[in-house]
Order: sequence, then structure tokens, then C-alpha cells
Amino acid sequence: MQRCFYFAKADFPRFFELMRSFGPVHAPVAVSSASSSFMPVSGVDQINMQALRTILPPKKLFYPPQEPLVSFSEAGFEQTAPDTAPQVLFGVHPCDLAGLAILDKIFVAHPGDAHYMSRRQSTLVVGLSCLPDPNCFCTSMGCGGAPARGFDLFLTDLDKGYFVQVGTPAGLSLLSPAYEYIRPAKTEQTDQYKEFWQKREECFVSGFQGDNLPAIMDVESDHPMWQELGSRCLSCGNCVMVCPTCYCFDMVDTLSLSGTCGERCRQWDGCQFNGFAKVAGDFNFRATAVERYKFWFRHKLHGFEDPYGDKTCVGCGRCRVSCPADIDRIVEMVPRLAGK
Amino acid sequence: MSATLKSPLLPTCGTLRSIEEIAPDNFLYRFKFTDKTLSSCMPGQFVQLWLPGVGESAISICSGKTGDTLELLIRRVGRVTTSAAKMTEGQIVGLRGPFGRGFPVEHFRGKSVCMVAGGCGVAPLRGLWQYLLDHRCDYDRLTLVYGMRRPSDMLFAREFKEMAKRKDIDLLLSSENLPPEDKTVVPMQHGMVTAVLHSAPLAPDYQIAVCGPPVMYKFVVRDLRRRGVPDENMWLSLERHMKCGIGKCGHCFVSGKLSCQCGPVFRLDELKGLPEAIECE
Ligand code: SF4
Ligand code: SF4
Ligand code: FES
Repeated sequence: MQRCFYFAKADFPRFFELMRSFGPVHAPVAVSSASSSFMPVSGVDQINMQALRTILPPKKLFYPPQEPLVSFSEAGFEQTAPDTAPQVLFGVHPCDLAGLAILDKIFVAHPGDAHYMSRRQSTLVVGLSCLPDPNCFCTSMGCGGAPARGFDLFLTDLDKGYFVQVGTPAGLSLLSPAYEYIRPAKTEQTDQYKEFWQKREECFVSGFQGDNLPAIMDVESDHPMWQELGSRCLSCGNCVMVCPTCYCFDMVDTLSLSGTCGERCRQWDGCQFNGFAKVAGDFNFRATAVERYKFWFRHKLHGFEDPYGDKTCVGCGRCRVSCPADIDRIVEMVPRLAGK
Repeated sequence: MSATLKSPLLPTCGTLRSIEEIAPDNFLYRFKFTDKTLSSCMPGQFVQLWLPGVGESAISICSGKTGDTLELLIRRVGRVTTSAAKMTEGQIVGLRGPFGRGFPVEHFRGKSVCMVAGGCGVAPLRGLWQYLLDHRCDYDRLTLVYGMRRPSDMLFAREFKEMAKRKDIDLLLSSENLPPEDKTVVPMQHGMVTAVLHSAPLAPDYQIAVCGPPVMYKFVVRDLRRRGVPDENMWLSLERHMKCGIGKCGHCFVSGKLSCQCGPVFRLDELKGLPEAIECE
């Protein structure tokens, strides 16, 4: 189902109201001079249209850092009802769309995660084009081109207006009350769209040949680089928290003061933390930071036998900008492993 | 539609029926439940036991059939298992499962099976020997090798005493410490599990089921290989930190494999090239 539309930038406030008619809109908001966060917004002026990577990826909307899944009381156990009110997620870039597609695979695989899936189903995703900075390498990871799926609507910024790709029937029905100013794309607009994505490709200053990556990770699993960089790892877990495709969690119980009722909560966890692979009797299967660092990168750049089954880095550059030890420079690490 | 989706992390209710101390710090708990899926537990699989307000713990199935009662061996070591000590009969717990791939009892059919247990690893194997003995005519020769630190650590002593009377299963037990004055319920040799394994009747076509502490595997595997048993005939139950049991939480990765999905029982050759599988700190 791809149908293409176009509307003028002057009409963006109207488009914003259209999204609001569906539900609360979450969009990138500048939270400091250098960073943005997905937050609920009530007006267009709050949105940072130039935002590149947000601090946390959009996974936080579907898979919150902490969320109760089950409540218990003397009466028994009950599943907490996930919030399924309709909402709009606006401003998702190609890397993050690819990241969501990976999380979808994990959480939808049998047995599907009720909380994730119901939020995903009640959210309209509106993507937005972007231009890379030197930390972006989505094209190297195979997800940097013009997206063709994974969104309800996708907006490409064409100077004077937005080219709109429709990805789902829900996206199409959002547009239908606005055909007065959202018009089917004309040939010249389609040409501009193609030109944008072609030029965008040329804007990447960082990158590498990604096809060989899993093989290179196999061949160079004992490369001295792992020891050299891994030994500087602080096991802080920043990389895991900011990565759009990291999905590991822990479960903890919280108890009311009376001690008779409480909740079972899920919270983000990560393989870079020391106790992650500990078993009873205090055996730790990945006891050193080097082993954990290597393990994390293997999942990102090679892939595991999980329901996704492929490399899980989408080239967003978040780990690079969040690592206090400055050892998550994938764009330099990969060429080093590859011998370039 | 979405509102009715059931969370796979929502446990079903179980009721504690009895607690039996079978060795110091080791207790056999019996839980009654009504959920049908739990009845399908097979040896080597595991369930998640939840004490509301305390936490969840992955515990291996330790009986040959489940019906409407789960038998779980609980060693009081962690937070959850220590809290389990304070439980009283009739108390409600949460249960989820069964999860994972157990011992391949169908594949074992018609073959001789040797079970090798070290320490608490005897609990998951109890499910297997009970199953094999319940279907005794489907299997050829059965051997059970069980090594422990000291005779007082022995789990399921009463059951071993009964089994020792049977002619259709060979028992080979060993203890690393064996003071001469210690009377043991069944005859035991002095030494490590590998020492008795040495004297076990074995042929290369035997199927071997192994479960024990992480350090035990490489020695057992080395000895079995020396006796000509191919890797394809060795089945190892690996302990990992299972949090969810459903392939989502990532805690149970053995190198790149989710052991709650591909395991916890692995055929040794499936672990080739997975450096984390049978070594540890
Ligand atoms: S590994 Fe780093 S660059 Fe790749 S997706 Fe995760 S955070 Fe982004
Ligand atoms: S952000 Fe950097 S220092 Fe922190 S755990 Fe990740 S690799 Fe290690
Ligand atoms: S126990 Fe959670 S993924 Fe295996």
C-alpha cells in the first residue's frame, strides 16, 4: 500500500492538529543545547524538527524502563492493564524505525508480549527524514535508505513541503479529513523526494562495508582490540540503555507497606552489568568487563539465535555519544577489524 | 483485541501442599495447581516459581510425571529460596511453565541410558530416572552415577534405597569425603563422580544425561570422550540465570543461544564453538 502525498510546510500546524485528533503526540523536544528527548508536546513550536538522535530511543514508549506487569493481593494475581489509549509518535528516523522492527520481532515472537504489543497497536508512528552527523552510520548497517515499511506515515523534508508516504490503512485514514491541503504527490515532488534520498546517501562521512560484518566478527573474535577497548569499559550500561534494539530485562517485586499486596515489575537490564550472567552458587559466566563488552558487540554486529537472528545494530550512534569511556566507536572499530 | 491479550509473564496459582526436608538445606516442595499446561512438564524442563513480594526463581522439574502436583527441590541459597523456607501449607504461589527443552526421552527409546549427576544436579535427573523407570520396557540398560561432597548431602536417600533393590537399574554412587565410620544408605565409593564413572558400564552407543555444578562438565565430558562416547550421545543440562523462560529477557544466553529455548538440555555437539557453554569462573 504505498500512496504518496504532499503538503506545504506552512500547513504543518494543521497536520499537527490532525495527529492530535488521533491522540497525544510524542515528539523530539530539545532538552539541552545538544540533546533531545521524545516527550508529549502540545504545540508545533515545542518540537525540535532538527533533532537527530534522541537520548533514549522510541522503545521507551512501548517498552518503558520500568513497568508493572502483574499485581497481587490476597485475592490473587492479575495482569496490569497496559495503557492502550491511542497516541502518536512523531519524528522517528530510519534507524529508529529499523530498531523498532527488531524489537517487534522479539516481543511479538510466541509467546507475544501483551504489554508491548498492545501499546504498539495503539500508537501511530509518523516517521521523519533526517540528515546524518559524523556519528551516524545507518547506511552501513543496511537501514539508512528511504524507509518502505515500519511506519504509518513517513515525512520526507523537501525544503518547502513534506512528501508523505503512507504505510498502513491507519495512516491513510488519518489523512483523509485533510485532503484539502494534503494532496497526492505530483511528479516533480516525487522527483525531489528521490533526489533527497540520493543526496542524503552522499552526506555520510562515516561508514564501512556492512555485508561482511558477521563474518569479520567471527574471524576476529580474538582480535587484540577487544581486550584493549574492553578493559576500559566501566560496566555502566549506558550503551545498553540507549540502544534502540537492546531488549533485556529483569523482574522485581514491589510490596505495599501492609505487605499484603504489590506488583511485579519489569525493568530494563543489560548484559554489560556485572551480575547479568550470574547463576546460583555465585558462578558468573561473563565475569569480566572484557567478556561482557565483547558479548554485547557480538549481539550488535554479528547477531544471536534470538527471534531476530541477525545483527542488531541500526547505526544510530547513540552508544558512541553516551559511552563515558569512549570505547563504542563502531565506525572506527569495524574498519580496524576489517583490516582497512 | 489487545485488551484481552494475556501476558506470558502472568503466573497461574499453585497451592503449597507439603514440605519435606530431604537433606540439610534441601527441601522437596509439593504444589497443587489446576492449570492444564503445567501438567505437560517433562524431565529436564523447568518452571518459574514465584513468591509474590519476593521474586521468581527457575526450578527444574524433578519428578517423572506431574499430573496436578509439581514436586520441586528447593535448596535454600538465594533470596527466593530462603523465603520459601517460611512458607506454610496452603500458601499460594505463582507458577509458570513448563519451559525449555528437556531430556530427549523419545530419542532415548530402545537405547541404554547412563545418567551422571553431581551434587544438586541430581534433582533434574530424578525426573528422568522416574520417567525411564515408569516406561522401563521402552529402554535398554539404565545406569545412574551420582557424586556428592559428603554422604550427608545425599538427596532422595529413601528413593535410592528402594532403587538399590531393583535389578533393572545400576547405581554407582561416590562421595568426595567418606569417613569410614559413616554409614550410608546405599553403598558408595570414595572419590569424585569421575572416579565412579570410570567403573560404569558404558559403550559408545549409550546415551548420557549429565547434570551438575558448572565445573563438573568438562571433566565428565573428557572422560566420556576417552571411553569412546561421541558428542552426539551426550546431553548436558546447563544452569543459567533464567528470568523469563520465554526467550525475551536475554539472561540465559549461552554465547549466542537462548538456553531457555534451545536448552536447558543441550546435545554436546550443539555447544561446539560456544565458549561460554561449559566453562566458568
Ligand atoms: S549499537 Fe550503538 S549505534 Fe548500534 S543501534 Fe545500538 S546504540 Fe545505535
Ligand atoms: S557505555 Fe561504554 S563504559 Fe558503559 S558499559 Fe557501555 S561500553 Fe562500557
Ligand atoms: S530466560 Fe529470559 S530469555 Fe531465556
